[in-house]
Amino acid sequence: MAVTYELMKETARQLYERSLKGIPENSKIALAGALETETSEAAQKTLRFMLASAKRAEEKSTFVCSDAGFPVYFVKIGTKVQFGGDLKRAIVDAFDDLVETIQPPILKFVTNPLTGERSYRGKDMPHVTWDLISDADYIDITCSPKALGSGRWAALEVFSYPTLEEIERYILEVSIRAGSQHCPPVVIGVGIGGSFDHAAKLAKLQTLRPFGTPNPEPILAAMEERLTEAINATGFGPMGTGGDTTALGVHIDYASGHGFTPVAVCFNCWINRRTRARIYNSGEVEIVE
Amino acid sequence: MSDRILDLPISPEVARSLRLGDMVYLRGEAVVTVGYPTHLRLAACIDKGEPPPVPFSGKTFLHLGIMSEEHQGAVKALYVNPTTSTRFNAFMPKIISHLGLTVVAGKGGLDETNVAIMRERGCVYLSMVGGGAPLLTDGITEVIDVGWTDLIAQFRLTRIRLDMFGPLTVAIDAHGNSRYAELAENARAKLPDIMEMLAQRRARS
Repeated sequence: MAVTYELMKETARQLYERSLKGIPENSKIALAGALETETSEAAQKTLRFMLASAKRAEEKSTFVCSDAGFPVYFVKIGTKVQFGGDLKRAIVDAFDDLVETIQPPILKFVTNPLTGERSYRGKDMPHVTWDLISDADYIDITCSPKALGSGRWAALEVFSYPTLEEIERYILEVSIRAGSQHCPPVVIGVGIGGSFDHAAKLAKLQTLRPFGTPNPEPILAAMEERLTEAINATGFGPMGTGGDTTALGVHIDYASGHGFTPVAVCFNCWINRRTRARIYNSGEVEIVE
Repeated sequence: MSDRILDLPISPEVARSLRLGDMVYLRGEAVVTVGYPTHLRLAACIDKGEPPPVPFSGKTFLHLGIMSEEHQGAVKALYVNPTTSTRFNAFMPKIISHLGLTVVAGKGGLDETNVAIMRERGCVYLSMVGGGAPLLTDGITEVIDVGWTDLIAQFRLTRIRLDMFGPLTVAIDAHGNSRYAELAENARAKLPDIMEMLAQRRARS
C-alpha cells in the first residue's frame, strides 16, 4: 500500500476548503471563553458576531472571510511512508483544482510583489514546508492559508545576548505596532534563537499550536502566560475597537543558536485558519483538525 | 450606546450626530472596493476632473471586497468582507473631500490626516468585523453597477444597495476623535506599567 498522488491531491484540496469555511474547534472554545471574561459591552457584541459568523459559514458552506489568502502547507512525511506518485506535484495541482471547483469561487490573491499582478498562480506557490517523522507510516499535513490582514504585521529583529525583558519588550512593541489592524483577537507566534530563517519558521509554527496546549519548556510556559496578560492589557480588543481581548494566546518556541538571537513575532487573525489531516499508507485519511 | 439605522446618503449633520462606539446599520447605496490600483485611479480621476465610473450617490465608500455572479441577467453578491483601510491613507483625504463622502467604512481605521479631513467635512469612519462575511453578505440586496471591469473582481468599483448592513461601529467620528488613535496612545502610555508587571512576574517565576 502507498500514499497515492490522487489521495494527496484530494486531501490537500479539502484541507484548504475546510480552512476557509469554518474556524478550528479550539478557537471557538477560546472565543467563547473570552466572551465570559470580556468586560466591554461593545467588545462582547463583536465576539458574539465572530462566533455567529463562523457558525453561519459552516451551516451555509461559505467563507468566513472573503480573503482566501495564498496556499500554505506544512507536510511531515513518516519515514515508513510508501510513495505512490508525485506527492509534491499533488499539492500544486490541489490548488489548481480548488480554484476550478470550489463554490463559491475564490478571488485572486496570489500577488507578484514586483508587478502587483494578481493571479491564482505564482512563483513558489503553494508555500510548502517539508519535514520527516521517524518511524511513522503516515503523512501529516496542515493547511493554513495566509491573508493580508494579519500577514502584514509580522516582524523579526536580531539581538545580541538579549535578556528576557528585552525579548518581551520587543514582542509587546510589535503587538502595539499591529494595534487594531490584524483582526484581533489574534494568536501570536514567537520564535526565539536559532538563525534568521529558523526563528521565523518557529514563530509561524507556533501560530498553529492549538490554544490551551501546554508549553513543555517551563521558562516559556511562564512567559506565554504573562505576555498574554500583558498584551491584553494594551486594550485594543476585538477588531481593535477596544476591549480586554486582543490576544487569545501567545505561543513561543526557541532554538539553540549562537551569540546572536533572532526574535520573530507573527500573527494569525481570530479566524486562525488551520486544518490538519493524516494520510496513511493504508489509504485511510484521518481528520486531525 | 445606540444601534441606529443610517439611511444613505447621510448629511454631514447626521454624521456629526454620531459618537465613537455607536453601533449602526446601513441602508441605501454604497460604492465598494479593496483595490490599491483602484484608489490610484480614483485619485487620478479626481485630479483630471473626470467623474468616477460609478456615481457615489450614497456618499458612502466601503473598503469591502465583493464576489458576485451573474444569474439570469441579474448580478448577485456571493460574499463580501472588509479590508484594512490604512493601506489607502494617502488617497483618502482627496477622495473624501472631492466626492463629499459622509461615510467611509473598513477595518483598522485611517490616519490623523484623514481624521482631520473627516472633522472638516462631516464624515465618519465605521469599523466592520473582518471575518464577518456570512453575516455582512446578508445586508447586500443588489449589485447596481460595476466600474473599471478591466480590473480583477475585488478591485473594481462596485455600486451596491444595502439593507440592514452591519452592525458597524463608529470608530472615527466627525469631531476629530479616533478610537484607533486613542487606543494606540493608551497602549503606549501603559507600556511602562505593563513592563513593570512583567518584571514582577518574572521575579516570581
